[in-house]
Amino acid sequence: MFGDLERTPRTLLVCERSSFLDEKNRLSSQVEQLHFNYKVSMLLPECSSAPSHLEAVFNSINSFYLIRKLPIHELLDKHFLETAVHQGRVSGLSYGTRIDEDNCVALMPNGHLSLSLDKDSFEVLGVEGKPSRFNQRTNSRFVVSVDLTDSSMAPGGRGYQRLVTGLKSRLQLKTDFLLSHPPGCGASLHAFLSRYDWSEHKPEIRSHTLTDLSSPLLTSDLQSCDPRRLLEWLGAVDAHVSCENSSSSFLSSLVCPEPRTRLSQALSVSVCGLLRPQDVQQLIQQIRCYLEQPRLENWVSLTVHGFVDSPVSWGGEEHGVLRGGDNFYSLLMFHDHTYQLHLATGAHDTCPP
Amino acid sequence: MRRADAEDEPAVFRRVVLKNASPYHYMKVRLALEDESTRLSAVELKQFIVTGLSSLYGEVGAALTFDLLKYDEDTLTALLRVYSKGLVKLWSSLTLLGSYQNQDCAFRVLQVSPFLLALTGNSRELQLD
Repeated sequence: MFGDLERTPRTLLVCERSSFLDEKNRLSSQVEQLHFNYKVSMLLPECSSAPSHLEAVFNSINSFYLIRKLPIHELLDKHFLETAVHQGRVSGLSYGTRIDEDNCVALMPNGHLSLSLDKDSFEVLGVEGKPSRFNQRTNSRFVVSVDLTDSSMAPGGRGYQRLVTGLKSRLQLKTDFLLSHPPGCGASLHAFLSRYDWSEHKPEIRSHTLTDLSSPLLTSDLQSCDPRRLLEWLGAVDAHVSCENSSSSFLSSLVCPEPRTRLSQALSVSVCGLLRPQDVQQLIQQIRCYLEQPRLENWVSLTVHGFVDSPVSWGGEEHGVLRGGDNFYSLLMFHDHTYQLHLATGAHDTCPP
Repeated sequence: MRRADAEDEPAVFRRVVLKNASPYHYMKVRLALEDESTRLSAVELKQFIVTGLSSLYGEVGAALTFDLLKYDEDTLTALLRVYSKGLVKLWSSLTLLGSYQNQDCAFRVLQVSPFLLALTGNSRELQLD
């Protein structure tokens, strides 16, 4: 009788175990494929302050721009296409739009523009698109995916004109837009940005030292902690949830996974904003250098969260929100160059790479 | 449910895909009260949710175990953990809880996820002035 009540939407958790020394390891490509990263958080056990080379990486993470009420047809402006999009320099997505309610836009570094539109907006726009693969009974959501580097979208061409006219006169789509660029390219965008209300933002860095913490015993062999318990423990540390509960406690029975150990201190650092996969790659490299020295605890954890409202997730695949828009991955690195990677997605997502 | 795609190479590489892996679901909820200055302790909040479960699902429903992982008394925001099989029951009783000590109230469910880690990285909280 309660069968239906017990069902929850499908979620996927991919658990991979490999080594940086293995030439076939795909970690680089898995990191690169998540174009839009909202938050990166790190947990360094038995560490009280961030090592200087990690601090240097945090400080070198580029700022990003927020453009208020950007008319989306401006992303198809000839000058912008030539200087920014065709060089593969910029990426961005709409800010303050919800993928399950509003129209969302994403511009990927490879020049693909993805518009996730509701039915009325899609019909008004009048451009070729596909129904969302996550539509349930009726087609209420449509995706328009355009390759701006393709010859059919060259300025002046028919496809280009149709899209520009659609965005300029028929739909008049305007959203707040977050724009990210590689280091050194900010100045060339200023001409484009000056036409609108824009502001520059640096990613927010927060660090927190935790003391006297119980932690699961994490080793690089196969019998290490169960991934679900590990992710729960990492979430508890990040959310400052206590794991010291007795079995008779009324409020909570959350405990640290067994076998466990005690850490006298740990450093939790998080960076929030619009981060590029290249920033994540740099952090991974620096953490590997950090782990090469002998330490009291030989592991470091790095978690990267994608944007909940991004129209695309890994590799440009469609992303949506049903009850939640989780698309994150957690990387647990060890001193012997092995790692455990856990990629998680929700119901309106395809399987992570 | 489990579907495993395992590719085994000597000693190093292993990939497993788990479907509906998490036995628990986590909810971030906020209690909105008519009188905004009212405060509840963690124990009072948990007891309040249990009465909600019992009014909708009876004594058996009230026996559904859930954990109050974290509670902020100032904002009346709580993190709850419940078995995935009991998520719909807990969520529906939160929805239908309408009054606390003779004042109107409502539970706002801010986020639900099978992963606690996802509750700490919600991009909808990104505020840029």
